[in-house]
Amino acid sequence: MVKQTSVLSRLESIVGREGVLGDVAALAVDGLTPQAAVAPASYEQVAEVMRYAHAEGLAVIPRGGGAHMHIGNVPARYDIALSLSRLNGVVEHEPADLTATVQAGMTLGELQRHLAGAGQILPLDPPGGERATIGGILAANAWGPWRHAFGSARDMTIGLRVVTAEGRITRAGGRVVKNVAGYDLCKLYVGSLGTLGVIVEATFKLAPLPREQRTVASAFPTAGDACALAAAVSGRGLSVRSLTLARDGGAWVLALKLAGTPAAVERSRRELGALAQVADAGAPAGVLPDGASLLCKASVLPSQLPALIDALEALEAPRLLAYPTVGVCYAAWPSPVDAESIAGAVRELTSAAGGTLVLERCPLDLKRRADVFGDASASFGLMRRVKQQFDPHGVLSPGRFVGRL
Amino acid sequence: MPNLKLVRELQRAVGRKWVLHAAEDLLVYEYDATIERGLPESVVLPDSAEQVAEVVRIARRHGAAVTARGAGTGLSGGAIPCDGGVVIVTSRMNRILEVDAENRIAVLEPGVVNLDVSRAVAGHGLYYAPDPSSQKACTIGGNVAENAGGPHCLRYGTTTNHVLGLEVVTPDGDLVRLGGRTPDPPGYDLTGLAVGSEGTLCIVTKVIVRLLHSPESTVTLLAIFDEVDQASGAVSAIIAQGIVPSALEMIDGNTMRAVEEAVHAGYPPDAGAALLIEVDGLEEETRELAESVQAICQELGARELRIGFSAEDRERLWAGRKGALGALGRLAPSYYILDGVVPRTKLPAVLRGVYEACDRFGFPVANVFHAGDGNLHPNIMFDERVPGATQRVLDLGEVIMRLCVEAGGSITGEHGVGYEKRNYMSWIFSEDDLEMMSRVKLAFGSGDAFNPGKVFPSSKGCGEVSSRMRAAIAKAGPDAYV
Repeated sequence: MVKQTSVLSRLESIVGREGVLGDVAALAVDGLTPQAAVAPASYEQVAEVMRYAHAEGLAVIPRGGGAHMHIGNVPARYDIALSLSRLNGVVEHEPADLTATVQAGMTLGELQRHLAGAGQILPLDPPGGERATIGGILAANAWGPWRHAFGSARDMTIGLRVVTAEGRITRAGGRVVKNVAGYDLCKLYVGSLGTLGVIVEATFKLAPLPREQRTVASAFPTAGDACALAAAVSGRGLSVRSLTLARDGGAWVLALKLAGTPAAVERSRRELGALAQVADAGAPAGVLPDGASLLCKASVLPSQLPALIDALEALEAPRLLAYPTVGVCYAAWPSPVDAESIAGAVRELTSAAGGTLVLERCPLDLKRRADVFGDASASFGLMRRVKQQFDPHGVLSPGRFVGRL
Repeated sequence: MPNLKLVRELQRAVGRKWVLHAAEDLLVYEYDATIERGLPESVVLPDSAEQVAEVVRIARRHGAAVTARGAGTGLSGGAIPCDGGVVIVTSRMNRILEVDAENRIAVLEPGVVNLDVSRAVAGHGLYYAPDPSSQKACTIGGNVAENAGGPHCLRYGTTTNHVLGLEVVTPDGDLVRLGGRTPDPPGYDLTGLAVGSEGTLCIVTKVIVRLLHSPESTVTLLAIFDEVDQASGAVSAIIAQGIVPSALEMIDGNTMRAVEEAVHAGYPPDAGAALLIEVDGLEEETRELAESVQAICQELGARELRIGFSAEDRERLWAGRKGALGALGRLAPSYYILDGVVPRTKLPAVLRGVYEACDRFGFPVANVFHAGDGNLHPNIMFDERVPGATQRVLDLGEVIMRLCVEAGGSITGEHGVGYEKRNYMSWIFSEDDLEMMSRVKLAFGSGDAFNPGKVFPSSKGCGEVSSRMRAAIAKAGPDAYV
């Protein structure tokens, strides 16, 4: 065990006094407080921190805005909080290339404002994205309603710069929109929750801002009716950017964001009106409170979603939010009496529907007992070998990932 | 000489009929659509995933490398067995196992031909988006291995954006499922890693793909320009205006003249380049976008614009593009297709560099490519019977690849690294970058078990076994094996 004071002084020699963060308690993860917290000012400093941690076997948890730190298993160890917050600039944005390279600590909100100046967006809209950082969003593979039209981070990330567990600054992918040179390591890092490397920079394919946008909503007595409309809309190829389904009192409200050329949006609005009773609406409010102590993310086939939602209702899930064309449903319990039996019941329902469940938030005592990602999949053996290869000393977010990798 | 013990074991695993080991049978499997050659020691045509796994286990026991092969249409030597060994041909595993129209998913065996997927699901108003030029022949398994692209990848992405899950055989001979039908399966995205791994990590035995709804309306435009620069300027202008067409292809003057002789597409003989632009979506949208695209092309000096709304008219506009490679065959006995990518804004400068380099080397070049993605395909025409010509063409290819890399691009956009470009990898990746890739190989335990000699830089030649076998055949005389 390396002494805390020597850890601190060594880190300070790397990142300088201004790079050391004082309030380590604020950076606790699942009740574990790190010995030290640093915010490096350069990729080289990140690499130096990792070289030190790797040599000493100190566990590092990289972080951005902290928006997704609730996802993952309880860390096995936690010595150093590595904040990317000072690496927060746009490296390159050539509007005519429709690509941008940004540092991992930049918030999505800031990036979107920058891109909007050129009439472009990064087509990712995870809830809480205003303060979430690019690196955190990629590590957590976070996404939002736009997934319906654009896919998720894996589909738009064309390059990454990653500091490895051993402290080498490496690249994956490149800066061009099409590239099959070598293994696509970007796929591996996206969604790896800081367990394979520290993402310090990312290059994205962008999308043009739509010329016209409009949000409409329609209320249904059952989730199944709402999902049927979602399927019909998607099958007709209407200009829909997102579909979200949430319970509002006794009704199920499907909110649709229409986007495209004005004529296409107008036609889509008209056809929707013929299929169901729709009204103009504001942006759908966030229905999943940050404070929920149990938050389940269930992924199933879209066709299985209505039955799953019905079953979740029977479990009296107080908050439900679904993406009917994606096949994902979030269920939240702000203060469950028995989180373990609820979580167990939801897991059973989801696997019966052929899907997977992640407990994105759950009480700490439950988290200590159960893997929040559920049973390991058939390919877990390969995943473990990948982790061993990329992080041989187990210093990157140890214990947090699937199967406590 | 073939290892007869290995052959007998393979025959027991898949049936006598489905193992080839006679020299004249093997010759058919020594090439793909590239210049390289490599002769296998035996060729196996399994019928099921279990048989593939068994073949892998047998080959591993005998220390023989395994190379998977689909239709052999690959453009980077991906199916060429550099170390001889066993070639697994997937052509018998060509069943569409399931179509789930409601969830827009199809489950395919690796030998299914790309175009057959769209044909099979068309009745549901669905299609499979990635459309490599060889889509009438190439297989899904090969598409997955190479992360194949095609003209419509500009808007819809390449193979990797459409594969949800895989069943693969690992080097240990285990059948493992990666990913799946439902979104965000927990764990590392091994599916994304396997796609584009060029058959070096695992052998694909099942593919779960996402299907798309066929668009209501598609409009195709052909814009003809006097100068290549005008056409590449139009490409940038279209993207800069916030229009992402579903396809944006360029056909240069040399290609147009070759095409004209072959398919009579009505191209003017003195044109510098043409753009083929396709937009799809709702009728209202395509009409408006087509008008914007027309206006941009006119402003940038297009001398002629043709537009197609009906399937027949659009087909006619595409005929020149689709027939281009075939037509080039009339101009020279051989051509070498290059594949490089540059940022879209660098297209005009890099194209100029390509023409200059080809002039300098004294080879005619025809460019027909995915301009919207910045994905260049210079086709260098030559005669491989002329001593030294092949080597000079390869040297020229290297010069052109350098141009792409210097412009901030990549050495391959959709054909793969394979054998031919493995030593260019170090131009775009550092030793550390390549080391992380090689660790993936270590994690899969594939070493030289699968498709050796590909992707990673190496000084070892391909097909040394092959040339030995060829020499043996030549010595025995033409009738020896008939």
